[in-house]
Amino acid sequence: MTNKLFNQKIGRRALLRGVAGAAGAVAIGMPYVARAESKGRIVVGTWGGDYARLLNKNIEKPFLIPQGWDVVQAQAGDPERRAKMLAERRLPRGSSDVQGLNGPTMYQMYHLGVTQKIDYDKIPNASHLLPTMKFEYGVGHIYSGMVPVFDPKLSTKPASYKEVFDPKFGDKLGIIDIQYQYTIVAASLAAGGSLTNLEPGKKLLLEIRKAGARIYPTNEAFAQGLKTQEIDIGIMWKARTVQWQNAGIEVESTAPSEGALLYISGFVIPKNAPDVDGAYAYLNAMLEPAAQQEFAKDMGYNPTADNAEIPDELNKRIGFTKAEIANLKNLDFGYMSDHDVELKNWWDKEFKG
Amino acid sequence: MTIAAAETRRRGASTFISASSLIGPATFLVALGVIGPLLMLFRYSFDKYDPQLFLVEALSPANYVTFFSDPYYLKVFFTTIWVAFLCTVICLVAGFPLAYILARTQTRFKNLLIIGVVIPLFVGNAVRAAGWMTLLGSRGFLSISLMDLGITSEPTEIMFTETAVILGIIAVNLPYMVLTLQSVLEGIDRNLEEAAFNLGAGPMTMFRRVLWPLTLPGIAAGVILTFILAMNAYATPVLLGGPKFMMMAPLVYSQFQLNNWPFAAAVAFILMTTTLILTVLAGLATRQRFRS
Repeated sequence: MTNKLFNQKIGRRALLRGVAGAAGAVAIGMPYVARAESKGRIVVGTWGGDYARLLNKNIEKPFLIPQGWDVVQAQAGDPERRAKMLAERRLPRGSSDVQGLNGPTMYQMYHLGVTQKIDYDKIPNASHLLPTMKFEYGVGHIYSGMVPVFDPKLSTKPASYKEVFDPKFGDKLGIIDIQYQYTIVAASLAAGGSLTNLEPGKKLLLEIRKAGARIYPTNEAFAQGLKTQEIDIGIMWKARTVQWQNAGIEVESTAPSEGALLYISGFVIPKNAPDVDGAYAYLNAMLEPAAQQEFAKDMGYNPTADNAEIPDELNKRIGFTKAEIANLKNLDFGYMSDHDVELKNWWDKEFKG
Repeated sequence: MTIAAAETRRRGASTFISASSLIGPATFLVALGVIGPLLMLFRYSFDKYDPQLFLVEALSPANYVTFFSDPYYLKVFFTTIWVAFLCTVICLVAGFPLAYILARTQTRFKNLLIIGVVIPLFVGNAVRAAGWMTLLGSRGFLSISLMDLGITSEPTEIMFTETAVILGIIAVNLPYMVLTLQSVLEGIDRNLEEAAFNLGAGPMTMFRRVLWPLTLPGIAAGVILTFILAMNAYATPVLLGGPKFMMMAPLVYSQFQLNNWPFAAAVAFILMTTTLILTVLAGLATRQRFRS
């Protein structure tokens, strides 16, 4: 047997096959050689789950990978990624090029000196970015609004935050624990306060709590409460309402007369991003009209670029009218950042306790 | 010095060198990966948090003072100790008979029984908690069954209560207690129990005078293990306790989420120190009892 193997003659084709195989093996083992034509590697910090999957499906696969970019997602929750950025902030090279954060945390990271100022000249698609989504510290990717959500069987549709935060609902009113910032601000608008005068809201929240309002730990638990009819009413992102409707939960939403509070999810560039060109390529790709349209379709969030065409029927479900858009209210990120610990302490000790 | 003494000394030195080379790398890794970050965390706990500056270097006990002077944090602290204590006692009481049966059984299905005890550990904490949620929710299996049987007329609220957390932690910790006790009970000769019975002892006397003292080292190990796990429980209190129930580990994370690293570090150290002190006390008490 051994003799047979050794006595075999190696032909020209066999030799070529062998050489090609060896070259392939070397290429696999030496990524830098194999990816000689790669433009570079973009490391994207993002939440996991659907959002990460859709970033890959709608942005990375259609726009970046064909251009020769290698895209790696570093998935983790927002606090963990923020902690990593803070821990790395003194290093000359960080471990990510772009980071997905929500509005208040984009602001916070910039003012803590962790992220860099955005140069919009490097983002050609930013010419179509809605002015309200253009920040010096980050680029808005998707947005939605905090709206009253309710069981359609309710006799009257709540037209405002004030009509939601009504003690008459007792334990049929649901509050989401992780949405404490938006809940306090929405209650403040309902009670005649403002984006920075939150005391009336705190007072109102204590009243509804006394009346029996239920507190759910997460958005999903709140949805479960609606599904099992444990609760009839509450507030939540309009986009989530659409997702719940798609999941078969009977829920409707309206735009609050006080102006819906904006939820913005966007991307920032750490100061020590290893590949800044890659980061800008990512920001540009995420504003491609097709990418924005797909996100609206898949996730129910509104596009932040004005050239993304959303079908009328979809827009009716996820979007806002012109008057409602004009009435949208953004949190005062600076105020929220400065008072976050104080608000959370009040929430935990006074409201929940 | 005689040749034999020199040889003994040489052997001793060489044993020391080989022992050092064996434990050296692991010790270095532990020092690097655990002690280093712990020291950093301890230092952070004396810093101050400023929303605009993040960490402000300081050497202030303010975070510890805040914790021990605020009724809310003290309530969280004592709730954690209470829940951990209760879970440990229930695990011991429920786990001892099970461990005894596992140790003494001669059936050929013994291995299957042991696997049955270990199976809950095959499932992650979060998945296990999700199972409890479907069972304990106000529209869950338990609540609906009680109503269908006419025992209750209103949905039973067990989810998001201390009871749900205790049930969840016991489900996680019981296998640790059972396996620890079983391994010790296996080593106790059955003849000792028989001898006690032959000398006229009843089952309770035999248990109190023979089995319990001999099992004490295993009890100490099981109690320490389950107590530490219960004190540091995170997923179960968050998922089953809901927003209104708070224990120390979730409190650390909630402060960390707010970027308030100094206070989170202080809470983490208070939790760690308390666990350590109570564990050492339990160990000392058991050892003393074992000796007497």
